[in-house]
Amino acid sequence: MNKLLKKNNIGWLFVLISIVGISLFYFYPMIDAFLLSFQSGMGANLEYTGLNNWLRLFDDPTFISALTNTFTYLIVQVPVMIILALVFSVMLNDPTLKFRGFFRTAIFLPAVTSLVAYSVIFKYMFSGNGIVNQFLINLSIISEPINFLTDSFWARIVIILAITWRWTGYNMIFYLSALQNIDHSIYEAARIDGASSFQQFTKITVPMLKPIILFTTITSTIGTLQLFDEVVNITGGGPGNATITISQYIYNLSFEYTPNFGYAATVSYVIVILVVILSAIQFKVAGDKE
Amino acid sequence: MKKVVFMILTIMMVAVLVACGNGDEDSVDDQEANDETEGTTNGEGEAITAWAWDPNFNIRALELADQAYDGEVDLELEIIENAQDDIVQRLNTSLSSGTTQGMPNIVLIEDYRAQSFLQAYPDAFYPLTDYIDVDAFADYKIETTSLDGEQYGLPFDTGVAGLYIRTDYLEEAGYSVDDVQDITWAEYIQIGVDIKEATGNNMLTQDPSDLGLIRMMIQSAGTWYFEDDGSTPNLANNPALEAAMQAYRELMEANIVSMVSDWSQFVGAFNDGDVASVPTGNWITPSITAEESQSGNWAVVPFPKLEVEGATNVTNLGGSSWYVLNSDGKEAAATFLANTFGSNEMFYQDLIDEIGAIGTYLPGMQGEAFEEGHEFFDGQSIVADFSEWTEAIPAVNYGMHTYAIDDILAVELQNYLNDKELTDVLEDAQSQAETQLR
Repeated sequence: MNKLLKKNNIGWLFVLISIVGISLFYFYPMIDAFLLSFQSGMGANLEYTGLNNWLRLFDDPTFISALTNTFTYLIVQVPVMIILALVFSVMLNDPTLKFRGFFRTAIFLPAVTSLVAYSVIFKYMFSGNGIVNQFLINLSIISEPINFLTDSFWARIVIILAITWRWTGYNMIFYLSALQNIDHSIYEAARIDGASSFQQFTKITVPMLKPIILFTTITSTIGTLQLFDEVVNITGGGPGNATITISQYIYNLSFEYTPNFGYAATVSYVIVILVVILSAIQFKVAGDKE
Repeated sequence: MKKVVFMILTIMMVAVLVACGNGDEDSVDDQEANDETEGTTNGEGEAITAWAWDPNFNIRALELADQAYDGEVDLELEIIENAQDDIVQRLNTSLSSGTTQGMPNIVLIEDYRAQSFLQAYPDAFYPLTDYIDVDAFADYKIETTSLDGEQYGLPFDTGVAGLYIRTDYLEEAGYSVDDVQDITWAEYIQIGVDIKEATGNNMLTQDPSDLGLIRMMIQSAGTWYFEDDGSTPNLANNPALEAAMQAYRELMEANIVSMVSDWSQFVGAFNDGDVASVPTGNWITPSITAEESQSGNWAVVPFPKLEVEGATNVTNLGGSSWYVLNSDGKEAAATFLANTFGSNEMFYQDLIDEIGAIGTYLPGMQGEAFEEGHEFFDGQSIVADFSEWTEAIPAVNYGMHTYAIDDILAVELQNYLNDKELTDVLEDAQSQAETQLR
């Protein structure tokens, strides 16, 4: 018996708990969902239809607009947010800046607000008689209120504004903490060699932060692919699918229309595939060998 | 040897996990058993639960029904308020996993969604055919709440629609209430333009994502998004839909529409006096009358009609019905519904008096409460008008995919407003619907 308790057996025992848990609550549902993605039918009447669901994706205009919208958010919003977060973090890392703590808190604060609560506030701010329209009218910049939420172009802008406001501070915190690990002597040496602030930023800060930038880009990408709360609460996906996201489409397929869980599972797997592909690309581009 | 011990350990772990699971279940069962015994000792009768949304309307109706119940079986009704979206979601998740555990006995389902549930989950609902007199209800409700000759839903409120209109604005523009009785959409738009000129207010609100107006228009002409079978899309070559889309575009182009993006903006617009009319279901009455300062300035007239064959001035928007889930307690739940919503004429009077809810049980739709004039509407007996229209609502089969089509059409409607050809718009919508609803 003693012999058995030796070696790694005890270790394995402890690992076993999480292995069982993870298999039961992660891998089993994943496999089941994958099987589900080959089935189709209403509600509980599901049957295997081979690759039909996967083929259906290609001539499903709602799916295609959900995909394009999601990529629009991704391509426009993620870079803007990452750059903003970088700039803020470098500015707020300046030891000569007064009220640093206050500014840091203020910019991080949106990240702790509830997704639904802030979405509802954004919705009211940008409504026909909301504060934004009134502000613009009072300044005589516009004469008639802009239909921010019922015009497809503006609705997208509002969504992008909202998620940028919500997540910039969150990403900034990662950069701020990473900046603490950059040795001051590097900047000192750069200054002695005559590097300008901008050069220091691009030649030292950004390269040193590269792993963190990669990390935040990947998490932001995944987050954007799963975007749901904001769109549902601010525009409801409208006007006419102009802001619908993949996640909302999955929700609609399962709960809004006559449920087709099979096809919804297929669409969910598209997100999985996209996350894998995009993360792989980002690793490749960032050239991280590890 | 090593492997054997490993196996034993694994089995032990699994056993522990399973035991935990069982333990929990046992305790729940115990508790339930306790509850039951308590229930019987107290002589409270069989417990049934009901889920509904809207505390001022559906929940109140259930409470009134609970009071009105005078059947032989003792019943203890527990009413649980849930948002409609939550009810839809919970029904879908539970029913698709094949369990009725944690589900109520009675549930309220919107008519547009009824067929979707009935067909997607066969055997999940308990037929009420033997409990109620199907012929006593408005025809159009029966069409949507039954399947294969069995009646599953107990029709509740009517979504009969009318045109709520501001009489003071009408007068300012030189019109009287008589001028807006039984009008067409073209006349409506003309009046809207005149009102805007005279008062500066828009005629109505629209939410571009909500096609309620289009749905009301086509039902008034006796057609729907689907053929009579409820599953073949009927979008291209549907003259009523074509006319409805044209009317919608003319409304937009006449520049008499205030754009809104949600319910509270919609209600706010007429409460603030920003719009002159509200074409919608009668369930909006409490929201209209909520703005007391406008008392006496509103009238309800028949819904404008399309200029196509078979068009009428009556239509419907929304409305819901009660369903009994096929689980323990179904007989009691069905008896309760049949005794109240299914046969009690006096109860329908109470519904009118207390909450202004107009039912679809025809024998219950007469009497004093119905004839009474409504002060807010300048003495007009709106309930009598609405009940009269209810009987004439063209019956259509809502089918199972109303909201899916809604979303497809909402996109195409935007394209149409941006100058895409109407025939292309409808043909594209048709082909999309066909691929999506395979």
